[in-house]
Amino acid sequence: MPLKSKDATTNFLSLPFILSKKTRLIMVTGKGGVGKTTLAMAITKALQEEGKKVLYNSFDQPLNQTLASKIDLPHFNLEMDSSARSYIAKKLGSETIAKWILKTPFFSSLFNMLPGLGHMILLGHIINKLEEDSELTIVLDSPSSGHAITMMESPRNFKEMFRTGLIVDDINRMERFIFEDERMNIVVTSLPTAMATQEAHELKEQLASRGVPHFSLVLNDLLSLSPSLKEASPGDLPEFIKTKCLHEERLLSELSDEEWKHIPHFAHERSPAIIKECQHLLTKGAPL
Amino acid sequence: MIPSKKIELFCGTGGVGKTTLATSRAYSLAKSGKKVLLITIDPARRLKQILGIKDDNAGEVSTLTGEDFQFENGQLDALLMNPKTTLKRMAKLSQEGSSLDNPIVNILTKPYGGMNEIMAIIEVQHHLKTGGYDTIILDTPPGKHFIDFLQSSQKINQFFDKSFVDIFKYFGKRFSKSKEEQKSGFLSLIVKSGIKKLLSYLEKVTGESFVDEFIDAISGLYLNRSSFTEALVFQEDLKKADYSNWFLVTSVDQRKAHEATDLQQNAENFMHKDSFLVVNRSLTPYLENWQPDASHKGLVHLHSSMKARENTIKDMGAKRLNQYKEVLYFPEVLDIEPMTHVKNLASSWK
Repeated sequence: MPLKSKDATTNFLSLPFILSKKTRLIMVTGKGGVGKTTLAMAITKALQEEGKKVLYNSFDQPLNQTLASKIDLPHFNLEMDSSARSYIAKKLGSETIAKWILKTPFFSSLFNMLPGLGHMILLGHIINKLEEDSELTIVLDSPSSGHAITMMESPRNFKEMFRTGLIVDDINRMERFIFEDERMNIVVTSLPTAMATQEAHELKEQLASRGVPHFSLVLNDLLSLSPSLKEASPGDLPEFIKTKCLHEERLLSELSDEEWKHIPHFAHERSPAIIKECQHLLTKGAPL
Repeated sequence: MIPSKKIELFCGTGGVGKTTLATSRAYSLAKSGKKVLLITIDPARRLKQILGIKDDNAGEVSTLTGEDFQFENGQLDALLMNPKTTLKRMAKLSQEGSSLDNPIVNILTKPYGGMNEIMAIIEVQHHLKTGGYDTIILDTPPGKHFIDFLQSSQKINQFFDKSFVDIFKYFGKRFSKSKEEQKSGFLSLIVKSGIKKLLSYLEKVTGESFVDEFIDAISGLYLNRSSFTEALVFQEDLKKADYSNWFLVTSVDQRKAHEATDLQQNAENFMHKDSFLVVNRSLTPYLENWQPDASHKGLVHLHSSMKARENTIKDMGAKRLNQYKEVLYFPEVLDIEPMTHVKNLASSWK
């Protein structure tokens, strides 16, 4: 293929790059619009295809119900208010007191002032679920990058704040699960531009400095690797596509092949078709 | 060119090129002779790459002096939000500076501590008062957090809600000057009676020291409440068409039309008649000049899927046209240099 000088087929994203034997929780993160949801759903479907017990969770964002049912996605929902209530109820042994506490202006203010608190309770529920069922793997579709940092920084902040008490005990348990037992892998997704990959690197470093042990860097939507261009020679292509491909190739030559794995641009209008192609890539290591 | 206003807001889901577009707007206004301040609170901080700002001066206004930013009459200043700097200035202005020296306030005002949005409102308010700018351009946080940002003024209200404050009066910490304490009536008695119980439960979950420090933190913020409540004026000004322009940014390369629609519906409460839908990275001008050979199935497929994306977003614009003054299309800039993007987009503003 004249468009690419390197052998393009060797560096596609596949499941082994995303999870090790220890991995039980996969969090897909990156800036908005990089295809996090598509990738998180494709990972879930691919793991299911391999016979794993796996569930997708959209975390603090509403689930795209239509899409989830179209692709028959195994998933579960968590709702912030009820999660907080059941968390407090469990700790105090009373649903009534929990309800009452959450109704007070003190707690509603606490929740508004400390957005990370709600996230931490959600994460706590997710880890509970994983500890209750040792066969289960969960794929988390996380909020955009800055807020993924908020989330990973929250345990430390709250520990610093609370120092003792039931919440701190729980934070220690969560930290053990994520950081020491190496159960979590974060997949940082980026679009193929110099600025976006630079941001992804920054994000990775920030998360690493907060103790996250495992990462996978994924370059999504590469036009130069698109199956649609497979049969084409440069002469068939308009200038703007040639320019885009040229920029991508320049970028690829600057990025380490060990560090970054690739997903091609899939020319479909609808998400289910894209997810299907991505799922195939993950299980087979090459596009359809 | 679209007439500039005192405040211009760029909102949109993440990754649509919001920061670059906001910068291009600031650049073109400065070029036309205006004194402009560009504020970004986007945690990804792309602005610093585009404008060559360093993390060291986050929170401080810097005038751009690079050769790309030499304007005949205009001036372009840039500011990366840093909640800690804003807080420090607040404390300095009030007589209650030391009241904000509290471990919890410290954590809250870390760059990812959760107070970004509220502090940004205070920051904008400050520069409106003191900066002498023709226009302040605000690059808001992406997506859901932009709605948080808009609603943060409501949070401020809720935060200083009287019944809430009553709770803390009960502890008597640093509220002794308040006259209201003398007229503590029936309501506060009810609040008080429940509070002891509540706190005994709370301490079980959070530990004792937290309750004390949290009360101190709240007291500190309460004593500085004038900064917060003054910032509420900002939200009211945003609703005036002669005061602000709204730019809702979306991008053709995103498969997120429904998310953009959600955002618009949520933002409707805040926007007025001078709102613009900005469609970024449009490929239409390129696609118009390309007709792939029918024998190349792959290319025909690619071409039609690219066209379909353009049309999805155009349909969205057309459906909501009554909501906007204008739909603005910005062609995708095919270049790797951020500054070229800014200059290219700036020329499209005309």
